[in-house]
Amino acid sequence: MANSVSPLHTSYVAGHHGPEGKIGVTLEEIEDFAMVQFSAWPNTLARTGTEAARIAGCATAASPGEAVLGKIGTLLRVEPLKWWLVAPAGSLSETPVLAPEDGAILDLLQSRVWIRVGGPKAEVLLNHFLPIDLRAAAFPSGTVASTGFHHVGVTLWRDQTGLNLLLPRSFAVSLWDLLCESALQYGLEVIQPER
Amino acid sequence: MSATRLTKGGRIDRSRTLKLTWDGKSYDGFVGDTLASALMASGTQILGRSFKYHRPRGVMSAGVEESGAIVTLGTGVRAEPNTKATMQELFDGLSAHGQNAWPNVRNDVGSVLGLFGRFFSAGFYYKTFMGLPPFEWGRGTGIWMQYEKLIRKAAGMGEASRLADPDAYDHAHAFCDVLVVGSGPAGLNAALTAAQQGKDVILVEQDFELGGDFLNQTDPAAEARRIELITALQAAGVRIMTRTTAFGLYDYGTAGLLERVTDHLALKPEHSPRQRFWTVRAGATVLATGALERMVCFADNDRPGVMTAAAARSYLNRFGVLPGQNIVVTTNNDSAYATAAELAVAGASVTLVDLRPEGGGSLSEVMADASVAVRTGLAPLRACGRRAVNGVQLARAEGNSWATADTLPCDLLLVSGGWSPVVNLLSHRGAKPKWDADLACFLPAPCPDNVVMAGSASGIWQGDACEASGIAAAKTALGQAVEGPVPGGWDTPIKPVYEVGLPDQKTKGFVDPQHDVTSSDVRLAHQEGFVSVEHLKRYTTLGMATDQGKMGNVIGLALMAEALGKEIPNVGTTRFRPPYTPVAIGALAGRNVGDHFRTLRRTPMHDWNLRHGATMTDAGLWHRPWYYARAGETITEAYIREAATVRQAIGICDVSSLGKIAVQGPDASEFLNRVYSNAFAKLPIGKARYGIMLRDDGIVMDDGTTWRLSETDFLLTTTTANAGKVMVWLEELLQLRWPDLKVHVSSVSDQWAGVSVAGPKARDGIAACLEDPDAILAENLPFMGVTRTRLNGGIDCLIARISFSGELAYEVYVSAGYGERMMDLLWAAAEPLEGCLYGLEALGALRIEKGHVTGAELDGRVTIDDAGLGKMASTKKPFIGSALRQRPELLRPDRPQLVGIFPKDRSQTFNGGALLCKPGVTEGHGEGWVTAVTHSPALGHWIGIGYISGGHGDWQGKTAIATDPVRKGDIEVEIVSPHMFDPEGERMHG
Repeated sequence: MANSVSPLHTSYVAGHHGPEGKIGVTLEEIEDFAMVQFSAWPNTLARTGTEAARIAGCATAASPGEAVLGKIGTLLRVEPLKWWLVAPAGSLSETPVLAPEDGAILDLLQSRVWIRVGGPKAEVLLNHFLPIDLRAAAFPSGTVASTGFHHVGVTLWRDQTGLNLLLPRSFAVSLWDLLCESALQYGLEVIQPER
Repeated sequence: MSATRLTKGGRIDRSRTLKLTWDGKSYDGFVGDTLASALMASGTQILGRSFKYHRPRGVMSAGVEESGAIVTLGTGVRAEPNTKATMQELFDGLSAHGQNAWPNVRNDVGSVLGLFGRFFSAGFYYKTFMGLPPFEWGRGTGIWMQYEKLIRKAAGMGEASRLADPDAYDHAHAFCDVLVVGSGPAGLNAALTAAQQGKDVILVEQDFELGGDFLNQTDPAAEARRIELITALQAAGVRIMTRTTAFGLYDYGTAGLLERVTDHLALKPEHSPRQRFWTVRAGATVLATGALERMVCFADNDRPGVMTAAAARSYLNRFGVLPGQNIVVTTNNDSAYATAAELAVAGASVTLVDLRPEGGGSLSEVMADASVAVRTGLAPLRACGRRAVNGVQLARAEGNSWATADTLPCDLLLVSGGWSPVVNLLSHRGAKPKWDADLACFLPAPCPDNVVMAGSASGIWQGDACEASGIAAAKTALGQAVEGPVPGGWDTPIKPVYEVGLPDQKTKGFVDPQHDVTSSDVRLAHQEGFVSVEHLKRYTTLGMATDQGKMGNVIGLALMAEALGKEIPNVGTTRFRPPYTPVAIGALAGRNVGDHFRTLRRTPMHDWNLRHGATMTDAGLWHRPWYYARAGETITEAYIREAATVRQAIGICDVSSLGKIAVQGPDASEFLNRVYSNAFAKLPIGKARYGIMLRDDGIVMDDGTTWRLSETDFLLTTTTANAGKVMVWLEELLQLRWPDLKVHVSSVSDQWAGVSVAGPKARDGIAACLEDPDAILAENLPFMGVTRTRLNGGIDCLIARISFSGELAYEVYVSAGYGERMMDLLWAAAEPLEGCLYGLEALGALRIEKGHVTGAELDGRVTIDDAGLGKMASTKKPFIGSALRQRPELLRPDRPQLVGIFPKDRSQTFNGGALLCKPGVTEGHGEGWVTAVTHSPALGHWIGIGYISGGHGDWQGKTAIATDPVRKGDIEVEIVSPHMFDPEGERMHG
């Protein structure tokens, strides 16, 4: 089968940028992943959440604002009635199924671009754009937020590896450019994505 | 003023010399200098020219309130006018020049305007609106447009570069438990107290050094205390931001900060922003913003060599500059005594003139020790000298007036008229400061949102008390009950004085030097009826210059109170508004400039389109292919070729920008049935249907096709422009009106890459790309059919047989990441079929020929009947808008209705936006309007689409005039059916 093409393929320049010897920020696109939305009805929230958690390999479904890392992938509670499962490519043997009376499943993989943001200045860089409190106490590992990045709705969560951004695909190049331009002052390492 | 650099003392580093250029001449300064201190040390006195009268001005202060040394920093594209030399940290290579003067501030031709000063009094500018007497008496302002330019050129605040700002600016957000503004004795203690209680603290200081008033003191103990506090702050993890001004305070603990990142650097780091615009959200805020020393209004109080007493102390103790040799210090309070003594100790001959008959009490004895001559009961009446002060004429108070006293020679005249706490930020929050008659100043009032004032900002004048006040303020901010020091601290009370003058005096005493507002202006405003303080401000422009009235507001209020026969608190005060100090437009814009002004949306085939010759155009936030010109083709030639190719063979158009919404759930069909005007309840799986949705008021909101993918899954498409609006509307309906429906809507606009493949050879072209070419045979995929199949290479796709162009056409959707691969396949198949890629311009031509509507026609005023789609409004079910579309006004038969438009003379053209009128009646709103025009390749002439009263039926066989009042030209047109090409739709059903 043909390979999917990232919208960043012409903008993504792996390597070091900015002041020599300084790496304040690392940016990495995670290209191969699966992303599925689980939607529940108000009266099936617990049941659908349990099913989403089972598929993600989590003990429990994520609560609002929570990102739970499971054996299969990370379950993000993005809306009161919705979860997103973000998982490594191939980890979902088949597209999950929900009975219509329990909820709805939607494949959203191609709608988002996943950027991992790391380095000692990661929070500082993101706070150039995101108006949310990223201090460790306020936004610890296992937290997810829907927030705004230059008027575009984006999803941010923190896990053990650092901060993760899901950018709407059509805006991804524009927002990526902004991230890179602003990160240059801190020293930027764009990591070669694993393919 | 004969300023000299002292060989020792101050905080400057004499081992590190810095070069600067002022008005093209080179000077030296030291690390630790400001531009003002370096120029003062070099003996430069005239640094500016005043706003209206072009009077020479020198340094008047040492801080943000500066009203004399206002200069243009940098040159060329980086020239920044209205920089206060007192706030600009010196760096090697700094270049500055005077402004509002020609040829320079030392010798300014414009100073001749001073001779006509009486014509430029309060309200002068507004009075020019009345016309130029006697030529325009009673006739308005015919020539005002001409002399307005002269006025604007003569009066000035410098000139910014007209070129694009080459620097980058950042926006940034920060959060903390406690924000402390100001790093003087109170601020340092407040920050440390909060930090030691485990709070996350940000300390903000506009200066490049921490310490506030600590920096102006010579006592080694003060410096030791400063260092002790700073060391403790650093150890406690306080985030310290120097060169950062808190310019505004907003709701719920939000503060706006401006950080000057590289303004002080000779070599700017390549990637660093020039400034950062911070939005800080704090749990509590302590404002230790200090106090500003006031001037007194007296004749020629703006002469170079007149400055505040505290400023002289700064130049002496911080910058190692003795600002004069023969100094007269005039005061009405205790604060100037220390300054006088220190100046004398530094070698100046000093006379202290105290308005208070008893002088400064015990302080007077200290003066004797320092060899300072003290005169009491006197005040400055007039500064002598033209280009620089050379003496001061004194006055003695006699009852409510003044009598001339003797004249003292001097080269520096210092004035202390009292102190005004900096309550600006508090005022931003709506807290109205309260006048304290004993201290002769406004004191802060209680403020919501946990904002606490500390130190001299709350009227506390002594250093130890300020430190205690900072500690108390931090504790108060953290919710602990604590009593802080009370305002005040002088041994002898202040004797308020705001103006010193003789009744018949004709000289100028400045209240607001930056805007050249004099005491006479204030009185004139009162005489002319501007008795409200808000009117006074606007009529005289008092407090409206870049210092926002820091120097003159209180004096202006006092003079107005006197004119009204009231006390100052009864006159009131104007509210300070952000910003506290000017903020560059570039900082407001941040990185949202150029290509980032609006976030650009790219389709999945953006790069592919560019590689294949697309010229792009903006469609909202989207960049879409406009046309694909071959070598030498104009846009007109290109789109005509593209549209003709679609009619003759096959064309491929990127339609990924269409809004796409997944509608899921057991009640999805019922939901759509309520939203759309036509029936959706029984739409079969594998079928698409064109739908129109109305607003509640019966006006058309949007249109599009909806594809049924399963019993409970639909893919709803919207126009590009209305994608967000429709999504929000559907969410609102589900959450507020029909929460009982089990339906979820999710935007999948970015999930899919979509193309329209149109033309008689479209089926052949697509079939060549499919693993199962039979999937789109007419019997398998009839008109409005939808199928899931695969492109070659195993790429899953959705194909719907729908047509916007009127041709046999399909929309092919694949997951966005496969968009480029899909284009490769389709283009490889279409090119041998003599096909083309086509853009928005050709798409427009094709749809106009067919009379298909877009946003240009569905403009928020149009009913479904107006658009000729009334048959799509079901009479068998209710739907959104079904009731209100029946309003009589919306059913009027003479409403404008959608029509096609041909020029009578087929060789002629007419414009989109033209009005459609009856012949001979080409005025007013006309009978209708043209929404879109194109050359029709199919018909071979110019055509248009638009609305006209009564529609095609009323205008059949009649002539209308397409008149364009803006671009001119009346063209005779005939009104035809909007379905100008293939009205039976045979081609798209073929």
